[in-house]
Amino acid sequence: MSLDAITSLNPTDSDSGMLWLGVVLSLVGAVIAVSPVPLVVPNQSLVFFEVGITFLLWGLLVLGLNLQYGFTGLVNFGHVAFFAVGAYATAMLTATETFKGIALGLPWPVGVAASVIVASLLGGLIGLTTLRLREDFLAVATLATAEIVHRLLSSFPSVTGGSVGLTGIPQPIFDLTGQSPNTSMLATAVVFAGVLAVFYALLVRITDAPYGRVLRAIRADDLVTKSLGKDVFQYRMQSFVLGAALAGLAGSLFSLYNGAVSPGFFTLNVTVLVWVGMLVGGPGNHRGVLGGLAFILGFRLLTRFANSAMSSVAIDFASLRLVVVGALLVAIVRYRPQGLWGNADELGVNRE
Amino acid sequence: MGIAQNVIFGLITGSYIAIAAVGFTLIYGLINMINFAYGEYITIGGYVGFVLASVADLQIPLVIVLAVPLTAVIGWTLSRAFFTPIRETGPIPLLLTSIGLGLILRNGVRMVAGAKRRFFEFQQATVFQFDVLGGLQFNTSSLSVFAVAVAVFVLVHVLLTRTRTGIAMRAMGDDETLAEVAGIDTSTIRSRVWLLASGLAGLAGVLLGVQNSVGPFLGYDQLLVVLAAAVLGGAGSAYGAIVGAYILGIAMALTVGILPTWASEFGTTVAFVVLIGVLLVRPEGIAGKEVRRA
Repeated sequence: MSLDAITSLNPTDSDSGMLWLGVVLSLVGAVIAVSPVPLVVPNQSLVFFEVGITFLLWGLLVLGLNLQYGFTGLVNFGHVAFFAVGAYATAMLTATETFKGIALGLPWPVGVAASVIVASLLGGLIGLTTLRLREDFLAVATLATAEIVHRLLSSFPSVTGGSVGLTGIPQPIFDLTGQSPNTSMLATAVVFAGVLAVFYALLVRITDAPYGRVLRAIRADDLVTKSLGKDVFQYRMQSFVLGAALAGLAGSLFSLYNGAVSPGFFTLNVTVLVWVGMLVGGPGNHRGVLGGLAFILGFRLLTRFANSAMSSVAIDFASLRLVVVGALLVAIVRYRPQGLWGNADELGVNRE
Repeated sequence: MGIAQNVIFGLITGSYIAIAAVGFTLIYGLINMINFAYGEYITIGGYVGFVLASVADLQIPLVIVLAVPLTAVIGWTLSRAFFTPIRETGPIPLLLTSIGLGLILRNGVRMVAGAKRRFFEFQQATVFQFDVLGGLQFNTSSLSVFAVAVAVFVLVHVLLTRTRTGIAMRAMGDDETLAEVAGIDTSTIRSRVWLLASGLAGLAGVLLGVQNSVGPFLGYDQLLVVLAAAVLGGAGSAYGAIVGAYILGIAMALTVGILPTWASEFGTTVAFVVLIGVLLVRPEGIAGKEVRRA
């Protein structure tokens, strides 16, 4: 890591227009939702919309993780915990009726706000306990947290609905579109694209500002940064909580889109796939990590087709897919640690 | 069931955890990496043991004697292929690589061996009943797990304190550069650390498999508990890991014993809570070195 890499910002991202694009997209989505003209997408393409919506939601996860790891060097291996906590907070507060568990039936905006707050608080709690530790211990603590959250979700049926989860969560967009699943998918995708664009723009602004430079400096060398008078712990904490809050928001949106949550949506695999997406794309590059995520989700989609095309072949495709994801993770770390679009110099991954 | 009976269960659970945790902590302390694939080394040990016991039809003691070195060699080979080439890049790339390797091994095993649990075929152990402390029960096989564990601890202790290799390992753990200057061939020592740690994982795997069953998630399910034991003991300290493992084993058994049956899953959750608690209050653990950021 050279000093040049810290001081000379080499902007690969731009937020010009993205903020507006996001706002416009959100509005267009809302218009599609309420417009009496039904915009019907062909049924065969619904799988693409489903994967697309996953991409848009996980896009918020990967942007938050990128702020934590790509910019600040925080190794958060429990990202799914914040996603899950956000989803369940919204679910419990807004669901009108469920088979089991809590359903308070509050308006959905309350759920969104609560999700962001709860996820931030959890992030703050974990940050408080672990951000002073050596970097790999943060990975251990966050992984354990995710595991605790996952177990708690399935262990208290009267609160979280146990392994069945919660249903009866309001679906604002679905309701607006007059119960047409096709139009609802389209409107949801457009609105979520708007939300992702807005947060993309905000994150690019944050990281292009001097503030982002401090984060990069912490990643490169926290001692030097500290000796320059920066409160390293504060910066780490803010970065960590911001990432957690974004994941909480993503969880909330997931609840409101899906209408149901269960522990099966929030496994370690989510964390792993988002991490691999980020590493493939290039940590520290907002556009890159979204590209990497698209790559990894595209791969999942392809293998799904391959699976149904070759259903006669007795291969355990779910396992094979994870073997390949593991191999990809190993390969990218070893052969291209800066990812496809990352800046090797800035990440300090160049070997002497 | 009384508290004493739960403590006995805890001692037996603690034995598996301790054997694995010693290996895990040696890798942490001497190779300087957190190996998230370590759980899969345990799984491999379990399957190697299963094949030897069921396919080759060997007796359990012979299975152990063969499975441990086999797993040791497999673990060493994996480390040569995956970790040695990126050894210089620091803890995070190693950690990420170990997560990738864990995915490959766990799901690879699942593809080859299937998802179902497999049981060793062997003579069911006799159950002993004692009249002390209100009718304690234990059977020969769990008693032998405890005995094997104690034997292993003595061997590891002798290795670390009385042999040239062990002394070199400790020197390397203290200061690698200094050890190298002093003429220690650190790469050979590292190889031996991998052999030893993988062998211990293999032993834990066979014992777990014999007592319960083997499945693709055998070791993965134990990983965080092993990790918690190592952190509680003070990551890097073999003795701390043993103490940490027994504390956790007993704490988990007591939790399960005290709570109503629906909360039986909380046994392991206790381990994770302890893990986070230790990181908060005393991150260097019972007997470890400094882990805070500079």
